[in-house]
Amino acid sequence: MDQKEFEKLLLTVQKPGRYSGGEINSVIKDKEKVDVRFAFCFPDTYEIGMSHLGMKILYSLFNEREDIWCERVFAPWVDFESVMREKSIPLFALESRDSIKDFDFIGFTLQYELCYTNLLNMLDLAGLPLRSADRQSLSPIVVAGGPCCCNPEPVADFVDLFFIGEGEEVDLEVIDLYKEFKKKGGSKRDFLREAAKIEGVYVPSLYDFSYGEDGTITSVTPRDGAPAKIRKRIMRDMDKSYYPEKFVVPFIEIVHDRAVQEIFRGCIRGCRFCQAGFIYRPVREKSADTVNRQAKALCESTGYDEISLSSLSTSDYTQLEPLLNKMLEWTEPEHISLSLPSLRVDNFSKELLDKINHIRKSGLTFAPEAGTQRLRDVINKNVTEGEIFRTCKTAFEGGYTAVKLYFMLGLPTETDEDLKGIAELGQKIVDLYYSLENRPKGKSVSVSISVSTFVPKPFTPFQFEPQIEKEETERRQKVLKYSNTCKKVNLSWHDSSTSFLEGAFARGDRRLCGVLESAFRKGCKFDGWNECFDLDKWSEAFKENGIDPLFFSARKREYDEINAWDHIDCGVTKEFLIREHEKALAAVTTPNCREKCSACGAACYGEGVCFEKR
Amino acid sequence: MRNVRLFYIKTGRMKFLSQLDMNRLMTRVIRKSGLPVWYTEGFNQHIYINYAVPLSLGFEGLYEIMDIRITDDEITPENIAKQLNSAAPDGIEFLRAAKPVKPTVEIAFAEYELIFPDEDNGIYKDLREFLSQESVVCLKKDKKGRMKEFDIIPKIKKTEFLSNKVLLVLSAGNEGNLNPSLLLSAFFENTGREPVFCEVKRLMLFDRELKPFV
Repeated sequence: MDQKEFEKLLLTVQKPGRYSGGEINSVIKDKEKVDVRFAFCFPDTYEIGMSHLGMKILYSLFNEREDIWCERVFAPWVDFESVMREKSIPLFALESRDSIKDFDFIGFTLQYELCYTNLLNMLDLAGLPLRSADRQSLSPIVVAGGPCCCNPEPVADFVDLFFIGEGEEVDLEVIDLYKEFKKKGGSKRDFLREAAKIEGVYVPSLYDFSYGEDGTITSVTPRDGAPAKIRKRIMRDMDKSYYPEKFVVPFIEIVHDRAVQEIFRGCIRGCRFCQAGFIYRPVREKSADTVNRQAKALCESTGYDEISLSSLSTSDYTQLEPLLNKMLEWTEPEHISLSLPSLRVDNFSKELLDKINHIRKSGLTFAPEAGTQRLRDVINKNVTEGEIFRTCKTAFEGGYTAVKLYFMLGLPTETDEDLKGIAELGQKIVDLYYSLENRPKGKSVSVSISVSTFVPKPFTPFQFEPQIEKEETERRQKVLKYSNTCKKVNLSWHDSSTSFLEGAFARGDRRLCGVLESAFRKGCKFDGWNECFDLDKWSEAFKENGIDPLFFSARKREYDEINAWDHIDCGVTKEFLIREHEKALAAVTTPNCREKCSACGAACYGEGVCFEKR
Repeated sequence: MRNVRLFYIKTGRMKFLSQLDMNRLMTRVIRKSGLPVWYTEGFNQHIYINYAVPLSLGFEGLYEIMDIRITDDEITPENIAKQLNSAAPDGIEFLRAAKPVKPTVEIAFAEYELIFPDEDNGIYKDLREFLSQESVVCLKKDKKGRMKEFDIIPKIKKTEFLSNKVLLVLSAGNEGNLNPSLLLSAFFENTGREPVFCEVKRLMLFDRELKPFV
């Protein structure tokens, strides 16, 4: 591609910085001197993809190796896509601007179900056949990883090979195997068969599915020596696990425009709706020294003036106080602000607030998730109303005037009383603010309540539950709307039609591949974006393929049904999920991993919280 | 603490950066370089940077100027430029650092190079003709966002037409700044030409006496 011509075209689209490349810390290598070229694709916009920590880790890890050149690829926004199609510009990697069609690997990270059409669109823009079976040569091998791969079936026909679990080790093992095959001129078929023997690798073409008359799966049969169960990979020792010293620093503003320091993986809580809380088990912490050292290096190499401590539940980090003390020693003189996302209401102390207050004061966000204690017990969100009030009181007395609360609608066993409870909770927080003698003087309070629609996910105790249908979702949204009478409480909720699609793909099987392809052919892409999502096209796509999406999303599943993801093993056993489901229906809570082990199965990895002294 | 004026170029991929992007980048480059710079002391503390004349997205600049404050009296201008270059991405290069001679409000003119890479010589002829008119009035938003009539001809100090490019010296700075894109859109509109791609490069910033601004 002529560079001048290309740059001219960039000046005709929104935010050319999405496509220009050349950012600080981006890696340029001599393509003649590497053995493997890896196109790391994030199937959404630059601003979203560049905010993703997993991509930063793997990008740096791969590029540490002299024989691999990993480059970044994002989904072009619709304006640039039409320019690319009109001018026949194939999908390219940002660093070299080379077409990714000739790369050795095209790797996708699948973070949410609504990006699946973008995966197809990107393969198409690259000029590749969509289906794995139609790509016969050894390269490019299309691989995928990320949390959605715990149920890879809805994209099984398009992807050659999935990485299950954490990628730091298994990705490189597969790349090394590929190098051997490339050298000796091996076939794709033989490569995939061999790769399937590596722990954490799932090659979907090696598994046959059969279905019964009622449409449920009757058997999943591996072929050619592929394992019956694919076991998730994890990094056992987080202190020894690779972490980048450099991040690519974007020119344009991205969603999370700051340094991100991971402090632990997994979550001790076991909230029953939360997929991340199960698939990333067991909890494995980094030591405060490691975190401090890595965070400092990151700030120095990027010039960022903000760093966030990232995890699923940051206030559960056992060494949070000593860590913050250590970090404040250098962040304050360096004018670096610390942010702590994912705090819980039940262990949010005044001391912690004071530490965050050292630098910057913005709004506080908490997630009670449900409006009544009964429903919070059902979902195992072990948070009481008293704790919520205590936290808000601490925050208000510390000078905060805005609180944001996250809830879910459509949780199992939910009644209208639970919905009214959400509005009541908002009202009570407003009342609390005005009852405080030492609230911020002369300022009004604002309580924002954001309500998303619950989608049952695989590997959670709610994987057996039906998702409520569109009409019922809309009815409940109305109940919620009319139960809020307070002007200081600002209520917002999500569109129900995308949740419906997400629900079908979350627990769907490979019969959805045809639907996905039809939807893509009709022009569906960026389904997570309101301006692009087109429900009518999706409905047509389902109809044309003779598939009822509600079969996957709105059906109660028996415990003995074979689910599309049952051959994936993420450590947590189905027996545990069944036990948790039964406890949920009885509104009985389960203690967190540090209080008491509930024998979920994740101890099989021999590391982490399962072996901490209690 | 002392004021330091930095002279730098912005070329290549850096032309895709807006002024906002540029400010973010410079902040990070300075932080990464480890230079001891002065931070403002307000509610939202940030590195003090003053850009002489911001450059539009899409343009390249060979004589860009920004002022910062250095809190260390020992470090030499050469080392300031060197340290910044070690942290800067391709396309940004610090040419030198120096003590400011004049305040930036004294910038009065800027020289631009315009090239139409896909056009023949005819377009330069048409442009020459267009600019030789007594007056060309076009609409421009003023600081309050109202549309205002604006004659571009008095804002053109000098034109020089070469075989495949044109050099223009235009009013620049706080008062009566004329952006080449405004001139170009007036040109396309008034002559009924289809707008075509034009490469714009800012070559120099001048004071009122048309001496390079320092």
